[in-house]
Amino acid sequence: MAVKSVDKRKQCEMILLDRAKKRSSRFALLNPRVVSSVPELRNSLAHASSDSLWVSYASDLTEALVKNASQGVSPLGFGLFIHSLDMKSIPALSSFFRRIAFTMDGGFIPSDELVEVLDADNRPDLFIGGSVNQSTDTITFWRGDLKPLTVPFSAFEKSGTSSKPDFNHFAVIDCGQTVQLGEYEAAVDALLYEYDPDYRRRISKQRLQEEQSFGASLRRLRTQRGLRREDFEPDLSAKTIARIEQGKVKRIQKKTLSALAEHLSVDPIEIETF
Amino acid sequence: MAFTFPLPNTLRKARWKVKIRDKETREPPHVTIIRGTDAWRINLRTGECMDGKPDPAEVPGEIFALIKEEQAWRQLCGEWDAMYPNNPVSGDDENYE
Repeated sequence: MAVKSVDKRKQCEMILLDRAKKRSSRFALLNPRVVSSVPELRNSLAHASSDSLWVSYASDLTEALVKNASQGVSPLGFGLFIHSLDMKSIPALSSFFRRIAFTMDGGFIPSDELVEVLDADNRPDLFIGGSVNQSTDTITFWRGDLKPLTVPFSAFEKSGTSSKPDFNHFAVIDCGQTVQLGEYEAAVDALLYEYDPDYRRRISKQRLQEEQSFGASLRRLRTQRGLRREDFEPDLSAKTIARIEQGKVKRIQKKTLSALAEHLSVDPIEIETF
Repeated sequence: MAFTFPLPNTLRKARWKVKIRDKETREPPHVTIIRGTDAWRINLRTGECMDGKPDPAEVPGEIFALIKEEQAWRQLCGEWDAMYPNNPVSGDDENYE
């Protein structure tokens, strides 16, 4: 999505539990402390801050984490468990970390894309993975800030010639920007807009501020002047004003522009500078 | 089925994609240019970039040239109309006066 929301976790320490050197090297951008043994893990636990990000690709190191963290360390930060996770570990991990993200079936984006998402300012607006629950007809997504978002299957409506979503073929693609369900590909920002009221409020406000079109300029200037769309009548109808503001009018005639300018008390050519 | 606009190899290797995705019912007709964690939406009615950020200047001019070429643009509009028949590109195009 075009709109950026800044996550304050940017500068925090990352601890990577992984034994695959090639994969670990992909995380270099995030300067992680790579942990590949239990002694290193103990050392990291002793020095980790309460806002560190732990990413684990190694189930045995996660088990060791549970065993060692339970022996009294300060609260940990955020935990992301890419490997399949034993259900029984979840309560313990939830108690150690401020927030955890996991799947039962390993439904996370590839490591190279994960690095990009975790490094992005707009990571809360990107998905890093998710789990399909066929029993409840829902998908729970994990966002780049490890917050969950659960949406019903009915969110993925078929339109026109579009294919039906295939919930047996789920993936998050395009660096967390698209949800793929077979041939069906839903835009993540459209899901967030519908199911996250905070996102909706933020993006609506930001879009209004950023929009560069004549219609957007007109809307900003009109609201700045404290005018309602009806205040342009009888010269211009409220419907006409709405259509111009929504970008539905391609060519605005000279007499329309003059009427707009007169009501707004500006020179016609000044309108689009607002 | 989402529509992916075919791009030359050089752009594909640089991870550029151009798509019309599903679930865009609430938006004006548009095509989305995607690269990594960034996206740019191009309005199919006006040809304008719908968002100020990220900076549209980051998109190679070659991509704009490719999608705005007459036949390609017509194809994109047709794909949108097929996916979103209730919100066609031409639906609100007429001048109001």
